[in-house]
Amino acid sequence: MSYFQSRRKGRVYVEMPGFSGRLIADLARQLIELLSDGEATSGAGVDPLEELVEMDSPRDQPTDPALLRLLPDAYTDSPEVAAEFRRFTEQGLRKAKIGAAEVVVRSIGEIDPADEDAALEFELSRDAARAWMRCLTDLRLTLAERLEVTADDDEATWLALPDDDPRGSLYRIYGWLGYQLETLLEAAQH
Amino acid sequence: MMAMTATPESTTIERPDTERLVLVDVPWVTIVWDDPVNLMSYVTFVFTEYFHYPRAKSKRLMMQVHTEGKAVVSTGSREEMERDVEAMHTYGLWATLQKADA
Repeated sequence: MSYFQSRRKGRVYVEMPGFSGRLIADLARQLIELLSDGEATSGAGVDPLEELVEMDSPRDQPTDPALLRLLPDAYTDSPEVAAEFRRFTEQGLRKAKIGAAEVVVRSIGEIDPADEDAALEFELSRDAARAWMRCLTDLRLTLAERLEVTADDDEATWLALPDDDPRGSLYRIYGWLGYQLETLLEAAQH
Repeated sequence: MMAMTATPESTTIERPDTERLVLVDVPWVTIVWDDPVNLMSYVTFVFTEYFHYPRAKSKRLMMQVHTEGKAVVSTGSREEMERDVEAMHTYGLWATLQKADA
């Protein structure tokens, strides 16, 4: 059964088991970590001058393929123009993605491990539901990059992996997140 | 705005420290590329939500991305297309921009 139910004006009511919420929140936190990697975050320890210099130079592509998929080149014909575009946009894009993941973490809240079987209930505003969609998408993109999912993949091959192969369980999470996104989309557009 | 002689080629004015203002006859396009991850329903949703396209048009563009590997989803000035590409990246879609005749 779907965790998401339509409410008025694009709002979505969510009811899910605590362990599902904890899995999504854990993944969202890892995504925040990935997107914050190598970035000067606001607050302590940031040299404002260094930050200024950073902002003012063209940026290379991320070397991590998952990060590159989340923050792709906008221009394919010229690496120089692509780097120039990154200089002005990449930080904002990272912040937007981190912001969406933070909405997810916040709406789930802290879960007491002893209480994992208890149902989690909350309501998402129209904007929060959209942040959830973007975050679920970014999580799927990241997992797919780690798993090297391709268009020609046969789902059966993935599901036939031996139990001790961690890729099998990652693939199940990837598929499960797709189902969550699909049902959230239905509820949000109702 | 400064006076300029119109030429058929694109003209670039350097604006200090910010960006290039490019006046072009040839428009730019935003292209969304197929990927094995994004859900068809989500891609349709993004086109409807961001571009305010009617659902039928969003669906047609999504199918074009899916079957042909890519689709032009918007046309306009370079600045507008940069905004659209950035928005597509925020949604997790794989998008690039280029000149319409490229």
